[in-house]
Amino acid sequence: MKIRTHQVNLYYSDFHALKGITMEISANTVTALIGPSGCGKSTFLRVFNRMNDLIDGVKITGDIFIDGQEIYDRKTNIDDLRKNVGMVFQKPNPFPKSIFENVAYGLRVNGINDKKFIEERVERSLHQSALWDEVKDKMKKSAFELSGGQQQRLCIARALAIEPSIILMDEPASALDPISTAKIEELIYELKKNYTIIIVTHNMQQAGRVSDKTGFFYLGELIEYDDTKIIFTNPKNPRTQNYITGRFG
Amino acid sequence: MTHLDEELKQLKSEITNMWNLIIQQLKKTQEAIVTFDKDLAREVIANEKRVNGFELKIDRDCENIFALFNPVAVDLRFVLSVLKTNNNLERTGDIAEGIAKFIVNANHSFDEKLLSQTETLVMFEEATDILQDVLTSFTNEDTKLARRIFQRDEMLDEINIKANSVVADYIRKNPDNLEQGLYILSTIRKLERVGDQCKNIAEEIIFYVEAKVLKHAKGNQKGD
Amino acid sequence: MAEGEKISSNKMLKQAIAFNLFRILSFSVVAILIIILSFITIKGFRAISWEFLTAMPEDGMTKGGIYPAIIGTFYLIAGSMLFAFPIGVLSAIYINEYAKDGFFKRFVKLMTNNLAGIPSIVFGLFGMSLFVNTLGFGDSILAGSLTLGLLTLPVVIRTTEEALKAVDHSFRLGSYALGATKLQTIRRVVLPMSLPNIITGLILSIGRVSGETAPILFTVAAYFLPKLPTSIFDQVMALPYHLYVISTSGTNIEESRPIAYGTALVLIAIVLIVNLLANGLRRYFGNKVKMN
Repeated sequence: MKIRTHQVNLYYSDFHALKGITMEISANTVTALIGPSGCGKSTFLRVFNRMNDLIDGVKITGDIFIDGQEIYDRKTNIDDLRKNVGMVFQKPNPFPKSIFENVAYGLRVNGINDKKFIEERVERSLHQSALWDEVKDKMKKSAFELSGGQQQRLCIARALAIEPSIILMDEPASALDPISTAKIEELIYELKKNYTIIIVTHNMQQAGRVSDKTGFFYLGELIEYDDTKIIFTNPKNPRTQNYITGRFG
Repeated sequence: MTHLDEELKQLKSEITNMWNLIIQQLKKTQEAIVTFDKDLAREVIANEKRVNGFELKIDRDCENIFALFNPVAVDLRFVLSVLKTNNNLERTGDIAEGIAKFIVNANHSFDEKLLSQTETLVMFEEATDILQDVLTSFTNEDTKLARRIFQRDEMLDEINIKANSVVADYIRKNPDNLEQGLYILSTIRKLERVGDQCKNIAEEIIFYVEAKVLKHAKGNQKGD
Repeated sequence: MAEGEKISSNKMLKQAIAFNLFRILSFSVVAILIIILSFITIKGFRAISWEFLTAMPEDGMTKGGIYPAIIGTFYLIAGSMLFAFPIGVLSAIYINEYAKDGFFKRFVKLMTNNLAGIPSIVFGLFGMSLFVNTLGFGDSILAGSLTLGLLTLPVVIRTTEEALKAVDHSFRLGSYALGATKLQTIRRVVLPMSLPNIITGLILSIGRVSGETAPILFTVAAYFLPKLPTSIFDQVMALPYHLYVISTSGTNIEESRPIAYGTALVLIAIVLIVNLLANGLRRYFGNKVKMN
């Protein structure tokens, strides 16, 4: 198992946001987290790169292992953890820098200065995110000149550049048009060969298309976690069925 | 009620109407055999067009629901089962039409003795009844009733098997009525197919309601 | 139907009245500004000459130029900014990026706001007491700059804070997610993005500093000093104070009237030029970090 969580509870001050989440995720799979807004799926996603630590008043209990390492251990270096667990956000958020510098950013902040190495890594990451052909002639241009879909793929390239083994995606295509969305989904399918991907999505069809396993969250609980095929044809829990068939309420 | 619910309800009433039409077709065919009423038989043949019309309409409706609503889970299974049931019903309709054609083509009325010896009419009753029961189990999502269909289909099989020797005897005794014997045997063969179609539909109902796939399972597992 | 039309025409009337009211008010603001500027320009224009800008004052400030006052004002602007800008920006970064929400952060913000509300003459007294007397800087550029710096600190802090807040949180998250530390994130992402707005704060502070009279009254300003300073411990003349002096207590107020208007014009021009410069700077950085 690449990732293992056991009885994870998370509190925002008094609010119990995650309730006893136990989940196992295999390497090189895509896991979709679905559920209505505020169900805890994004919070759970951010457990894996300790992004919740940035919020005041967050308390977390339980065990989270990545490659057998307890990531909330005192010995864990958060910056190293985040190098291993990349993240792509809902809204494309490239930095106000050139395309090249955006991808190089993660390398630079991690102390890599070898120019040749950086150039190679940037090119490789852009190839991986299927953006190279579109940007190879304008690496010095501002990242803001790219379209929304391109910006999102740039953000994926940026995450890939520091060679993570896990990629977290928080509704990566929700701000994009259908063609850009299709490209991101295709990319996820490609990346699965080398990375373990966890994706939060509000789009049921997207979860069905891209993921191997799906977890349904409701009110901070993991209601059902199973093969995506089973979730979408024969969910065991009536709440799951109500949610995915759009009869929630 | 969601838009999809509305569509599914529509689909259900559509296929129920088709179902009732086919039950009527079988009943009329049976009556036409007993009374040797060629006009009634012709009516059944003409009505087959309506059955085909239903089939096309339901096919298209299912297609639209898939394309526009991307149904999942229970909705998906429902539409899939309707799609397959639609196919099975259409074939059942063909069977009624086929038998009606025998009546139109036959030279004189069917021998009552032969009909009773072969239990053709019993079979007719039973087949129509089974089809009616499958409809009830579909309407009420009653898988218990659907499961009983498998048992009842066996009775049709028995009549079908017995019919071979009965008709052979009859032909030996009445060589002149060879043609009539063959018509009756063919009718029995066709009615036996009605049972098979109903069995398939029952499987679809169980799949839709319980998400269990019974197809190609061993006979002894069907009852559980 | 008629009722509906009545309501709708009533609504349109209200709309038109409100719209025109707002328009008149905003035009009147512009008009006041234009009146003041043209008044000063017309009155002061005749006094302006190359000599006026580059010569020492003469004859009890009724003749000659205002060169030392111009230079003095520049020194005070530069000195106060050198003090207030780094401290203000760094405090704002601390308050906005590091301090946790809670009593301390609220306390610091409250104090900053209070500081902004203190009358400038109080700053002058405080500066005199602390810098001039206690620390023994005497009446000097150093003491004056520090006093002006203190005065403008809240403006710098507040505008910088706003500038930092305007940087969307997702950029910080994006940086953290790549394993960057907080300091790296601030230096490489947050500051470059907020720089244009921070410069706006700089403009506002410079405007305030260059026009203040009270704080320099007891700390640096010389009544009449026809020579340039040689060290930061020297006194200087400054435009606003010079203006005050020749308009209220000069040797011959009537005769030095044109010089007073000329001085006012120069003061306004300096503020304007600094604003334009800063605006250019802001646009330059703004283009570099254009938001989408």
